[in-house]
Amino acid sequence: MAASAGNTIDPIHQFQVNKIIPLQMFGHDVSFTNASLFMGIVVLAILGLMVYGTRARAMVPGRLQAAAEMSYEFVASTVRGTAGHDGMRFFPFVFSLFMFVLFSNLIGLVPYTFTVTSQIVVTFAFAALVILTVLGYGFYKHGLHFLKLFVPSGVSPALLWFVMLIEIISFLSRPISLSVRLFANMLAGHITLKVFGGFVAMLLGAGAWAALAPLPLLGVVALTALELLVAVLQAYVFAILTCVYLNDAIHPGH
Amino acid sequence: MTNSEGGRDDDEALKARLERLSRALEERQQREPVRGDIVDVSASSTGRALSLGIRVLSEFVAGIIVGGGIGLLLDRWLSTGPAFLIVFLALGTAAGFWNVYRIAAAPTGGPRDGAQ
Repeated sequence: MAASAGNTIDPIHQFQVNKIIPLQMFGHDVSFTNASLFMGIVVLAILGLMVYGTRARAMVPGRLQAAAEMSYEFVASTVRGTAGHDGMRFFPFVFSLFMFVLFSNLIGLVPYTFTVTSQIVVTFAFAALVILTVLGYGFYKHGLHFLKLFVPSGVSPALLWFVMLIEIISFLSRPISLSVRLFANMLAGHITLKVFGGFVAMLLGAGAWAALAPLPLLGVVALTALELLVAVLQAYVFAILTCVYLNDAIHPGH
Repeated sequence: MTNSEGGRDDDEALKARLERLSRALEERQQREPVRGDIVDVSASSTGRALSLGIRVLSEFVAGIIVGGGIGLLLDRWLSTGPAFLIVFLALGTAAGFWNVYRIAAAPTGGPRDGAQ
């Protein structure tokens, strides 16, 4: 695909995965791409915040330590509030997911970066991981009683198969909605930003119309603020829904 | 710590205090609903409305997509016209409504009963 040549905007171009170091392993393409690069950057940024931030272990935390402690406490209270005290065994899992999604959303907002979470492969892999964890832990902890999740109590037997089918479809829709929500939010936000940015450039190059150029520029500023909100919000929603689903695995029948 | 005796006493006193503190903290956490810290991110009502709206939309659409997908696959597998597609599309829509109802019935992040 041609990069934004001349006056045309190509808002999809930013989501292209490019090979940086081509690699082949056992007949599979395992090239180091810009997506892998930014995944690495995200992990390094999280590591930096956590390790460097908590290094001082000060009673009165500095800025970085306060950020690290806040993120810990925020996720911990989310897990405790949603999945109960038993849910805390999944805290490392939820915390890693939350931090990874949050950091890739936020780093993706910086111009010229690549948004890892705008790839449905990535978000669906996370969602599948969550659902497989729920299934695995549910069956491990409760055995076949876990299947009671699909059999609500107090339903007349005539309707039971119907309700069960709906429950199963509803359960299967969870990874879809979990992954598509995050992916679509990031994709749509970045495309909108790009299109508005393109408007500025096009208006500036259109003679007298350049007088209108500040309007979409204001739009970009407002949208960037909105995207910042969405980035944090989606990471939070991803984390809390993970907790809700894990709660089903820990306490089926509720 | 000045000496080993005093140090041990201090340690034990500290341990007892810490225990008391953590018990008090736990009690507080159980008494107070955990609503407060959820406000952290979605403090603005815009944010909460935005996230809720997107959640409702995606859950509803996902139900329909999964239902339709199952129907399509069953049809292709058993080569039975559009019969299963129709049935499962309806079931998927019902599941979508059920998802939405579940969101509405239990607001985001509310503490669940019996989840202690």
